[in-house]
Amino acid sequence: MPRNKVAWRRPVFVILILASLALLTVSFREAESGPVHAIQDAGAGLLSPLQSWGAEIAEPFQDGYQWLKTLWSAHQRAQKLEEELQALQGEAIKLEEQAEENQRLRALLDLHPDKGIYPEGTEFTSARVIGKSPTRWQAWVQIDKGSVDGIRVGSPVVGATPTAGESLAGKGLVGKVVSVTEHTAQVQLITDAESAVAAKIQGSRAEGIVEGSVSGDLIMDYVDRDIAVDPKLVIVTSGYGGVYPADIPIGIVASVGEEDVNIYKEIEVQPFVDFRVLEEVMVLILPVETPTTGAVTSTTTTSTTTTITLGSAGR
Amino acid sequence: MGRKQLIAIGKAALLVVIAVALQVLVVSRVSVLGVTADLFLIFTVVVAISLGSMHGAVFGFLAGVVADIAFVETLGLRSLIYVLSGYFVGMIVRRFGTVNLWGVFLIAGGASFVAQFLYGLAQYAMGPQAGFFTIVGTQILPETVLDALVTMPVYLLLVRLRVIPAPRVDTGTAGSGAR
Repeated sequence: MPRNKVAWRRPVFVILILASLALLTVSFREAESGPVHAIQDAGAGLLSPLQSWGAEIAEPFQDGYQWLKTLWSAHQRAQKLEEELQALQGEAIKLEEQAEENQRLRALLDLHPDKGIYPEGTEFTSARVIGKSPTRWQAWVQIDKGSVDGIRVGSPVVGATPTAGESLAGKGLVGKVVSVTEHTAQVQLITDAESAVAAKIQGSRAEGIVEGSVSGDLIMDYVDRDIAVDPKLVIVTSGYGGVYPADIPIGIVASVGEEDVNIYKEIEVQPFVDFRVLEEVMVLILPVETPTTGAVTSTTTTSTTTTITLGSAGR
Repeated sequence: MGRKQLIAIGKAALLVVIAVALQVLVVSRVSVLGVTADLFLIFTVVVAISLGSMHGAVFGFLAGVVADIAFVETLGLRSLIYVLSGYFVGMIVRRFGTVNLWGVFLIAGGASFVAQFLYGLAQYAMGPQAGFFTIVGTQILPETVLDALVTMPVYLLLVRLRVIPAPRVDTGTAGSGAR
């Protein structure tokens, strides 16, 4: 028997290598609706309840850890916030005046006053994060809502992390849905190396592309060197490209780099969302444009999921 | 099919199920230095150390397919890497004839390093661009150490619970320093 084992070792090894290569080839060449993808989707569907269960079990431990962490940094943050409050109070008065001016200008442009930053008819579906990418090569999360909840490939995703508080910090763009099964969806984070988001910098009006990287850094590229960009300015989506609506906060300018050989500035972005502790997200189900008339219609969801259609409190 | 083979298949299936459950429920939620341990690879290495290259390769194939499904990745990539890992770990153990706990640590670390390097090459070829030293420093080295550290207790536990036997190689000179 041992002799047979040794004799079989190499053929079995070769067969397994060929089987793996065959799977790999079929996986690449086959359409998304093919049988191998269907088997993979079915397998992922079977695992999703386990992942949801895991997320539920882990939640109290993660919350406890977060609570301790927050307590630790609360004192330092309180001092820092006190100083910032003084500065912000002055800013608030200025902003109030600007808001009034803005309102007048919007009325002039005949913009819908209740539109908020998302297109009219946008629906929101909240989802729980049930899985995360296992390596740094990709940055994605898996959520517990899928096609039956109205989620489509390309749907933008926003989120808030525990550092959010009442300020803008902690709330912002998370990414977009890249694949959907019946009850789950995979969300490519903006920190993914393959992600590119058209963005602009508030205050300087500079425009560029916010790109992720394998190291997890977020970089805004293609910003003209002639435009002055100061640290701490807020970066939002520009709305170009048709994936993300305009004005979704992404992060702030952390540092501005310029190289002699590069015709663009390279801006390091500190995202608002802390992707390490992302637990829940909000998927934006944008209205579908009908090709014949170009009219915008709101999507409907078929499940029992609570969806909120954007109204006056659109933000 | 004999009773022994059925038991072996049952044990392999049980190990895959345990790997999936632990990976999904626990390990994927515990990140150390930004990386998580890869239990599928760790179990493949443990099986290969204990039962040899053929069992290691077969288990690696099964674990790889399940890992590709669990991680929603291109089917076949991890199975290819785990088959190679399982086969060569088994060959190395057979060549040395014996393995102690430090040997397990080194073999697991080496297997993890090579597996991640191959995975990284495949990823690099498929799309994401990354600096070599960035990816070595932030992904490959931390996970190599983490996988090697996690392999030791997993190996000890599985041997102690008699899910897998202590290494027994074809030369007949093998012993285990793990106990």
